[in-house]
Amino acid sequence: MIWQLLAGNLTNGLVLGAVYGLATMGLSLIFGVLRVVNVGHGQFIMVGAFVTLIMFTALGLSPVVAIPAALLLGIALGFAFFYTIIRRLIKAPELASLLATFAIGILLEEIVKHIFGAEFRGYNWDLGKIVLPITVIPMTKVYAFIGSIVIAALLYLWFNRTKMGTAIRTVVEDSEGARVCGVNVGWSYALSFAIGIGLTVMSGVFLTMFIPVGINPYMGGLYTLKAFVIAVLGGLTSPYGAFFAGLIFGLIENGSYTLFALIPGVEPFALTRFLTFLILLIILLIRPTGLLGAKK
Amino acid sequence: MRLKIEKYYPLIPVYAAYLVMFLIGRTMPSMWQMVALLAFYCAIGQAFNIFLGMTGYVDFGYVAFMALGTYGMALGITAFYQTGLGIGIIFIGLLLGVVMATLLSLAVGSVALRLRGAYFAIATIGVNEGFRYFVEGAKIWGGSEGMIFSRELKEAFGAEMASQLSTLWADVAVFIIAVVAAFVTIYYMRGKIGYALTALREDEDAAKVMGINVTKYKIIAFITSAAFAGLIGAMAWALKLTYVFPPDVFKIHYTIECIIVVLLGGAGTLLGPVVGGLIYAFSKYWLAVVAPGFQLLIFAPIIIAIIMAFPEGIMGLVKRRAKGTGWEKYII
Repeated sequence: MIWQLLAGNLTNGLVLGAVYGLATMGLSLIFGVLRVVNVGHGQFIMVGAFVTLIMFTALGLSPVVAIPAALLLGIALGFAFFYTIIRRLIKAPELASLLATFAIGILLEEIVKHIFGAEFRGYNWDLGKIVLPITVIPMTKVYAFIGSIVIAALLYLWFNRTKMGTAIRTVVEDSEGARVCGVNVGWSYALSFAIGIGLTVMSGVFLTMFIPVGINPYMGGLYTLKAFVIAVLGGLTSPYGAFFAGLIFGLIENGSYTLFALIPGVEPFALTRFLTFLILLIILLIRPTGLLGAKK
Repeated sequence: MRLKIEKYYPLIPVYAAYLVMFLIGRTMPSMWQMVALLAFYCAIGQAFNIFLGMTGYVDFGYVAFMALGTYGMALGITAFYQTGLGIGIIFIGLLLGVVMATLLSLAVGSVALRLRGAYFAIATIGVNEGFRYFVEGAKIWGGSEGMIFSRELKEAFGAEMASQLSTLWADVAVFIIAVVAAFVTIYYMRGKIGYALTALREDEDAAKVMGINVTKYKIIAFITSAAFAGLIGAMAWALKLTYVFPPDVFKIHYTIECIIVVLLGGAGTLLGPVVGGLIYAFSKYWLAVVAPGFQLLIFAPIIIAIIMAFPEGIMGLVKRRAKGTGWEKYII
């Protein structure tokens, strides 16, 4: 019985993990290229969730349409914040960019709150479900799983098969060296930031399919923290590392929840969170290049 | 001897500001709550500055030390309220709070301080959140419900004295903590540790090569800063509010407020946290009156503007202006 429950929860964890992975790729991309930790990361996910909700409830458009809309909005926001704020903080001490991105996050939260209100809202998009011997998964989640993998693969191809992607990879390796070789480092920064934010906002569309209680403007902070753990697991600078770490994180989260629930007298949900932060600390201390990263 | 005293001249404007605040609060009872709020932000800025200002390391989980101070006081009061120790239980609570905050900072400092920059910031967030969820998950210290101890406080001291402790003495204690923290700040700045940390802030590797034991001084600054946070948590949160609620005391927003106070006033300056604390607390208080619900919407762009326009803070600018004038010896 417990094994079946565990297997079912792990399957769900894997499905959710792919979306977590997608939701963290932007954070790792931005840190890898600009060395800026986006502390307002989760708030961009929240923006994507609201795009989905508004398009679905007010305009009657399917979340499939929300995916490109969120991506474009995210890229636009990314360029806007990059050229107004982030560009001037790249060379500043960490404190400046940490505080600035946190403030950007608060700004997004407050704007959304004042427009749409602070209460939880949800939408119902039912496409049937898949019945497996161990668990039942709604089709929307299956599509989110497949969509996340496809997008991660497209990003991989863009990075490894195009000139611009290669240029950005060289900036990650050594920005001075890239500049010497004629790479337009400033544009690489801007583009990476915009794509990073675009991916993050877009991942908000997929995440709404996993949030039964609905979304609200303050949902982001939690995803910032989760994204930190995932990004560290994946080595912080690598978007694909982040994607695979997302899968692992989904498994850890659901698996450990199932096991903690067996212990009487504890709150399994909080202990699961505790475990993830413990993992974050252990990885940072013994293997800061990430679980999948190469040893230095 | 004369030289030695001159070192401490910059304390004069700091203490003058505290004295004026205190006198305003005591002579006008209606102002006391606001003065207490101002003192809280000055004190926490002063405490946070000892680490952030002197080392340049960003502790994003700083609020965890305040939380432990709060829990220390809560545990002290709930465990000893029937013993008839009188005011002694407050000191036990204070001691517990400081010891717990210090122990955590020792544990975190000895491992996490090996990390630099963004990695350190993320690790400290991890400590803060991890600790919170451990308390909630393992259901220690009341778990996610927290602890309420107003009844215990009343039983130990009587209703009137208990209310005096919360509304007056907790705030007075915050003033005292701010005074002591300012003294410790300048003592560090003008001592060996200050020079070592300045070298570290400029170039950590070079400082190491020069034979400075950077780890030792980083940890000293970290622990000192955490111990003050524990004291402030025990007084300004536990004794004042008479409850502890985990989602509140571990809230990352308080760390951000500390950073804003220090950055606004000028990181690494003595007067900075006072100036930053006063401006921040005043505007927070004022905005809550004139634009309730819109404080954060107004604050966020201001924070961004400050980071971009005055990264060295108000006292950083003043310090540069004062160079070569008679004011120089009063300002660091």
